[in-house]
Amino acid sequence: MGEQILFGLASGAALMFGALVITLKKPFQATVSLIGCLLAVALLFLGLSAPFVAAIQVIVYAGAIVVLFLFVIAYLGERPLPELDNPLARYEVVGWVALVGLAGQGAVLLATSNLTGLWDQPTRPDDIGSPEAIGRSFLDDYIVPFEATSLALVVAAVGAVLLAKRGVRAEGGR
Amino acid sequence: MMETMEGVPLGLYLAVSGALFLMGLLGVLIRRNPLLLLLAVELMLNSANVALVGFSRHWNVTDGHIFALVVMVVAAAEVVIGLGLVVATFKQRRALDVDRMTVLKG
Repeated sequence: MGEQILFGLASGAALMFGALVITLKKPFQATVSLIGCLLAVALLFLGLSAPFVAAIQVIVYAGAIVVLFLFVIAYLGERPLPELDNPLARYEVVGWVALVGLAGQGAVLLATSNLTGLWDQPTRPDDIGSPEAIGRSFLDDYIVPFEATSLALVVAAVGAVLLAKRGVRAEGGR
Repeated sequence: MMETMEGVPLGLYLAVSGALFLMGLLGVLIRRNPLLLLLAVELMLNSANVALVGFSRHWNVTDGHIFALVVMVVAAAEVVIGLGLVVATFKQRRALDVDRMTVLKG
């Protein structure tokens, strides 16, 4: 029973905050809504018996990534975007058609899929979400992707520094 | 046969994941501020994580959790580079509007 209540609350909150993220005009408000959405998704992870992923979601996503967004918004200042003419307005219909088509496809796929146990009560999982299980899986089976992520992070850090340096030089700095 | 438990079936989690993904896609399509665009991309990445962790429980394996953690790392890298580009664009005193960034247009 607990998981149903948690799922209902968390999925409702996630969808509501997600709708706010894409409808609010001000970047600051949209970012704060994203925090709500990320926390709701972390609750969904808890319901799926993935406590470690939920903790990382809160620490890395809601902690680090969103703070980065807020820093940039504070740095750029809160400027409302002037309402310019939209040169791509004639393609907007195509976008909506694609979106509705994709939603229909997903619904049909979920309704007609013959995946066993898709709509049954879930089986009780073994110890798959604990830090120990995840650490063993990383070091036993996924050591190469694990090292590749560190490489990706280094490349991203170097790229960010290069971008920032070029920006300073454009301002007349060294 | 494994014991079942009171819980939410995988299909509902996949439905929520799909709805979140469509919201993110809609955000990418209708927003023109690159900051808001990055937020919508984060929504899409998160919906993928919900599906991955859901399947992980369904098959009773840890692999989906590993995938979700790697997706988070990729999201962090993507945000760092994306925000760096936004700041660089802002410093050149261009409008923060993805429809107007047409310098690379052939």
